[in-house]
Amino acid sequence: MLAQYLPVLGLLIFALLFGVGGFLTSGLLAPRSPNARKAAAYECGMVPAKDTPERFPVTFFLVAMIFIVFDVEIIFLYPWVIANGTLGAFGLFSILIFSFLVFESLLYLVSSGALEWGPVSQIRRARTEMVDADRTTSSTVRRVGLEGRPLEPQDQTEEAG
Amino acid sequence: MNLLALSLPAVLAQSDSGDLLVAQNIAFGIIAATMLFSAWRVVSTNNIVHAALYLVIALAGVAAIFILLGAEFVGVTQILVYIGAVVVLFLFGIMLTRARLGDVESVDHENRLIAALTAVLLAVVMSYALIDSFGDTRIDIETPSTTQAVSDSIFSDYIIPFEAVSLLLLAALIGAIVVARREDGS
Amino acid sequence: MSVFAVDPLLAGEVGLEVLAVVLFKVLVVFVLLIVSVMLMIWAERKIISDMQNRIGPTRAGPWGILQTLADGLKLIFKEDLIPDNANRTVFKLAPLLTLVPAFLTFSIIPLGGDFTDKDGVISLFGNDTYLQLADPPIGLLLFLAMSSVAVYGIMLAGWSSGSKYPLLGSVRATSQMISYEAALGLTVAAVFLQSGSFSTHTIVSEQSVWQWNMWFTGFVPMAIFMIAATAELNRPPFDLVEAEQELVGGFHTEYSSIRFALFYLAEFMNTITISAIVVTIFLGGPNGPIFIDAVAWLWPILWFTVKLFALLFTFIWMRATLPRFRYDQLMDLGWKVLTPVALGWLLFLGARDVANDRGWNPVLVVGVAVTAFAVFGALLLRAVRMGKQVRELEEMRG
Repeated sequence: MLAQYLPVLGLLIFALLFGVGGFLTSGLLAPRSPNARKAAAYECGMVPAKDTPERFPVTFFLVAMIFIVFDVEIIFLYPWVIANGTLGAFGLFSILIFSFLVFESLLYLVSSGALEWGPVSQIRRARTEMVDADRTTSSTVRRVGLEGRPLEPQDQTEEAG
Repeated sequence: MNLLALSLPAVLAQSDSGDLLVAQNIAFGIIAATMLFSAWRVVSTNNIVHAALYLVIALAGVAAIFILLGAEFVGVTQILVYIGAVVVLFLFGIMLTRARLGDVESVDHENRLIAALTAVLLAVVMSYALIDSFGDTRIDIETPSTTQAVSDSIFSDYIIPFEAVSLLLLAALIGAIVVARREDGS
Repeated sequence: MSVFAVDPLLAGEVGLEVLAVVLFKVLVVFVLLIVSVMLMIWAERKIISDMQNRIGPTRAGPWGILQTLADGLKLIFKEDLIPDNANRTVFKLAPLLTLVPAFLTFSIIPLGGDFTDKDGVISLFGNDTYLQLADPPIGLLLFLAMSSVAVYGIMLAGWSSGSKYPLLGSVRATSQMISYEAALGLTVAAVFLQSGSFSTHTIVSEQSVWQWNMWFTGFVPMAIFMIAATAELNRPPFDLVEAEQELVGGFHTEYSSIRFALFYLAEFMNTITISAIVVTIFLGGPNGPIFIDAVAWLWPILWFTVKLFALLFTFIWMRATLPRFRYDQLMDLGWKVLTPVALGWLLFLGARDVANDRGWNPVLVVGVAVTAFAVFGALLLRAVRMGKQVRELEEMRG
């Protein structure tokens, strides 16, 4: 059985030779004149002012987490799909229960807002505490040019009253 | 897992299919040596990301040994879940923390002795469990285990553990979100 | 046909002659891949130029067909820079980690062979074999495993560069690729359900001239597979990884010379491989009508090539037509649409098969399925709304 992997191994060796051979040829043929500016981090010509960010949003971590959950589910689905013909209704119902529980974890993750990447400003725009160009009950002045900005604190109470 | 693999040469030596076995023994030796080296590097390197990469090599070795033993589906599972998902999670976890991505002098810990003792104890317990339950059962490499067989045992003997896995996954996910929340709050 | 679909060439004793045939096959596939990648890059540039009213490459060779070769040679002669901040070993390793999986995946593609009455077996120098490099029992799972490994190439390239934009690009890319891998794995499962095997050879022989898995699985898995594959390849409209306006060049910003060339090559090689996989699992592979018996061996190869070209053109067309997604749209599409739909559809297909075996009332089964889709869809929609509110509240608290 293992002989079936022989051609894959052969292609692996060829691919490695191709890559390493490329590096070696380039190493022999390419010019080499490094200087400090070339070797600095590329920032479109600017001198790098800040260090690389050290922390990333927790959302990335949670995506990896839900991926593990689904990966394990997929791994368990594969034996089922291969044997579906012989397992029949029993297999179907056990996999339905399993999938429901996994789907539930996706629901939990989504509903806790963990998969929300969207710009929050878009959500804010829908809120009412914004300057409106229209006349209000307390003022007849049309406030043009400030639409969509948050109200000043005193205006907010006015608006509410 | 790894211990099962270590007992392989003894199993192989008793069977008699000639050249193929020699080739398999050599392959096993190379893989096992690589795994031992990278496992040692995981704990000895000072760079956290390098440690994660050595872990990938060790896990790939486990996958290769599964394939050598004819358990191909399990081998691929090893790659898909451990290399494809778990270590990626580790790497994201590293990036979440304030840990510097370069060399750090003190990823070393004071409790070396206790760690070594724990490792030895674990090895003893695991080998005892393995030898006790399998003894000198041989793995028939000529007729590899099929996915159908895996499926048959999941959906008959192991149906309750199988359903329990989904609950376990749900619990793990809830745990992750709770931890993430607390991080946000502080 | 045995339980394990295995290449008859390697089923028995592996002697020197067999080794020579294997070496020959490996060489042919290797050269074929390199040449087709060069043509693919040229074709992509040429077709996109046509769609954008430009001319595209014209200088190297007739119609600029040698442009890729010229570019490759030029890149070999360019200075190979390694930034000061870079982690040198990993920086050098990353291009190989991208290139090798790209090569290996192609080994499971059946390129030809008469599947109507000869079960895809051809004779090569007197040895019976399949017209595909290898047919291991894990079959398509090799593709999934390789795409998990390919993630590391991109992630490590970005991390080891020691620079901002590559790191941001690679973190995005990793997250994007694992997200769509879930959808990819679920749609592939629909094909396994249809064929009852992982082996690409069996998947092809279970289909016939016009009876393709695309119809059997109800088109939805293929559509999801195509979308997820585009995201997995980091091709437009999902090329957030190298969004020029935001990230300069993404994960390979700091790469130059041959190392950059290898990334570029791997990207297009993956495009070809994924198209070939779509042809294999959904479009019947080399299956097709055979007209002239004298050259019967040629027709399957021809059909495979035609189908492959059609798909490659579709990929190029999508690149020229669609604007790039925003990152939140991309993740929403992956997790809140494609993955749940793929899962639901797979379970529906499974239920359909069981219903056929058991003679359940088809109307009832479809009715239950539609109700289940509606209920779980509504639940998911509700969850999405809640998620938005939670996020808004958190943002207000600061």
